Amino acid sequence: MSSHREAPEISKDPVADSTDLYAFVSPDRKDSVTLIANYVPLQLPAGGPNFYEFGDDVLYQIHIDNDGDGRPEISYQFRFRTELADPDTFLYNTGPIESLRSPNWNRRQFYDVTVVHGRAPRTLGTRLACPPCNIGPLSTPARDYPGIAAAAVHDLGGGVRVFAGQRAEAFYVDLGSIFDLGDLRPFQNLHTTFNIPGLKLAAAPGVNATSNLNVHSIAIQVPISSLTRKGHPTIGVWTTASRQRVTLWDADKGENVNSGPFRQVSRLGNPLFNEVLVPLGKKDQWNSLPPADDKRFAEYVTHPELAGLLPVLYPGVFPHLAGLDAAKKPRADLEAILLTGIPAGIVPGFTNFTGTVLADMLRLNTSIPPTPASQASIYGLLGGDAAGFPNGRRVTDDVVAIELRAIAGVTYALVDKSFKPDAAAGQLTDGLTPASVHATPLGHFPYLGIPYSGYDEPS
Amino acid sequence: MPNQDAAPAPDPGRRMSRRSLLQGAATAGAAGLAATAMGAAVSQAAASRRPDLARGSGPGQSAAGPIMVHVRDARSGDIELFAGTSQTRIHDQDLAARITRALNGRSN
Repeated sequence: MSSHREAPEISKDPVADSTDLYAFVSPDRKDSVTLIANYVPLQLPAGGPNFYEFGDDVLYQIHIDNDGDGRPEISYQFRFRTELADPDTFLYNTGPIESLRSPNWNRRQFYDVTVVHGRAPRTLGTRLACPPCNIGPLSTPARDYPGIAAAAVHDLGGGVRVFAGQRAEAFYVDLGSIFDLGDLRPFQNLHTTFNIPGLKLAAAPGVNATSNLNVHSIAIQVPISSLTRKGHPTIGVWTTASRQRVTLWDADKGENVNSGPFRQVSRLGNPLFNEVLVPLGKKDQWNSLPPADDKRFAEYVTHPELAGLLPVLYPGVFPHLAGLDAAKKPRADLEAILLTGIPAGIVPGFTNFTGTVLADMLRLNTSIPPTPASQASIYGLLGGDAAGFPNGRRVTDDVVAIELRAIAGVTYALVDKSFKPDAAAGQLTDGLTPASVHATPLGHFPYLGIPYSGYDEPS
Repeated sequence: MPNQDAAPAPDPGRRMSRRSLLQGAATAGAAGLAATAMGAAVSQAAASRRPDLARGSGPGQSAAGPIMVHVRDARSGDIELFAGTSQTRIHDQDLAARITRALNGRSN
């Protein structure tokens, strides 16, 4: 997955587990950037009676680097607070929730937003309401839910608006096959299958493992001019979750007590970075560090394990990639895409280079206008669409296919004209597209679709 | 540049008296890690320094939060103190010894 349960420690802490990060020039408000950080992965919509929520004890942040040093110049901080109206009922709601102020809604969350830009933090909004989880036709009537969620979009002034709450999962990936030893169903007839007796796999369509699941999204829309430096339109974006250093179980009260400074436990910039590139023994450490320290992980980018596995798992399919692996040439293409941004002159008319500091950040050149939906390519820059990943990331971009193809060698030809990618490299996919996601993305902020209801998606 | 995840430098203003710490540790009675809710003034001071982090805390944590004491090594007196969103580290063999005695006395 992009970053769902991607490291051993954070997989035990879902409310602090970042799953996906999106950054794009807002298609309906082109002078602004939309940043979306998703948390709390793989939510079964029928998650009652204690429906999913953000962690009150977690510090969520979205960071922006606008000078290329891999450290934040601007950080948006989100702190949540859960309020229980009636502790003497087991119910999340005691009747239909028709509005954000419904007296029937028993357990709700509010949040504060602070921006740290320079020395002094500045509060942008306090006690902002989250929408309820989407429960079902009796609790969250379908006719009301979109309006309730829309009311949870808060205008903070200065062109900034925020939303925090449950949304439909927009990321699509065939986890069931990919983590079964690199099986890609559309190509599994070519997989080695390790010569397991009696096992014969025919090519098949992909299966979306995140289908009809929900996540919790923190979305913020900010004027481009407040994020960039003059003459430097590219920003680096990442999200972090942090916990206080000490947690003590107060057995008398039946709750945790926290103390001490916050320390980072989760991080996400480019999709799949920690999940697929960083080895198991270092994933937890990676989650605790800032992008500025990513030099120590550069070898996993320039010599990715997956690039070595593909020719082994699919014998004879990737001979050119096998030759590249054997030559042990560092993958300057992947280093540019993931760690520095792509310098000018590599892709005609495009750059999102931020400097020589190796830092995993989702880099967005904000001077590139959004591509009209009818002309957009889900393969982003690989599909000739410079408004898509790895120039930021839009909700519908097929980041799995893009990164598979890049690792398989498609982008290496950009830095070594003598290299000819394997024919299969440019076709790699797990067999999914945005059509694999049933919830329709919104055409406006916060863009992610209405969450699936527990009644409609009970299992 | 703002990085709230970065480790802050020890804050001398955050130091607490040994007597109050010992009282807190004895009250909590946990081996190695002790907690008490005695730290109202200290925690409020911490909150005023870092309002962005202290505000909006979850259930069970108020502005007048607990003080946590982590005796990392009783022999050398290596002790970490936590309150609100701050921490400090001291080396005090006498304090560590008194906490240890208090714990032993409690367990007996």
